[in-house]
Amino acid sequence: MIIPHPLLGPRDAAEFVYKGDASLINRPDGMTASDDEMHDYAYLRDNPAGEHRELWYHEQGDRSWLVVTRNTMTHDITYVELARDVARASGRSR
Amino acid sequence: MADLDFTLTATPLLGGAKHQIGENQIVERDDLALVSVAIPLGGDAAVAKALKSGWGLTVPEPTVSSVAQDIRAIRTGPDQLILVFPHTTPDARAFVQAKIGEAGYTTDQTDVWVVLEISGSDTLAALERLCPLDVARFAKGGSARTVMEHMGAMIVHLSGDRFLLLSASSSAQSFLHAVELSYRYVTG
Repeated sequence: MIIPHPLLGPRDAAEFVYKGDASLINRPDGMTASDDEMHDYAYLRDNPAGEHRELWYHEQGDRSWLVVTRNTMTHDITYVELARDVARASGRSR
Repeated sequence: MADLDFTLTATPLLGGAKHQIGENQIVERDDLALVSVAIPLGGDAAVAKALKSGWGLTVPEPTVSSVAQDIRAIRTGPDQLILVFPHTTPDARAFVQAKIGEAGYTTDQTDVWVVLEISGSDTLAALERLCPLDVARFAKGGSARTVMEHMGAMIVHLSGDRFLLLSASSSAQSFLHAVELSYRYVTG
């Protein structure tokens, strides 16, 4: 599988490590969230047959985290963005 | 105290290895210093200015290194670059920090990496078997961080069929072995 890195161009998936569902970015505030919210964040994942947004870490590369939109049925990758851009766009970080 | 007079002599990681395989050469470059520069959040313009005024260097593209006055800048990450340059004394970080000033954070990485310069007509074929990149399509000065034989590595195109390969000094022997073996596969 080839992942089209937004900065580096097409790179072999062997350079990356899969880090899970991209919803992991949206961690609730541990000081205010309810037990249910924390439980759902920690344990519950959707398992779609089709389009899935997931986190990939370019460990053997520039060490960037990516949000990859991938079709789990066909492995087609339709969109790739830097995870920090995604997080900042949703109001996270500075 | 006994009258002891020690002299410490620096030794290259691979003893200054030089290998000739067919028409190709693998040479350990122990004359190069490496200093990484971390760019603080929102500090890209300040680092660009410091590189420009310090050495006339432009900020390297993510996949293409830049060169000025023997100093090569390689992008290693979105907020990080590494400077590679010939330097004989163990004060490379101070040399860079003096020019970078407050703009970035520097770390001396000279002893952390082993540097091999490889060249020769079979180089592209050897690299194709060594790393998952399309090295033949590298631009002049093209650079990348990747993996070679399970070892993290950096590759920089110098000119024609001449490349610089960098990997962890702790596995320098294994890295040299992997590169050498790849050349042997393609030279028969």
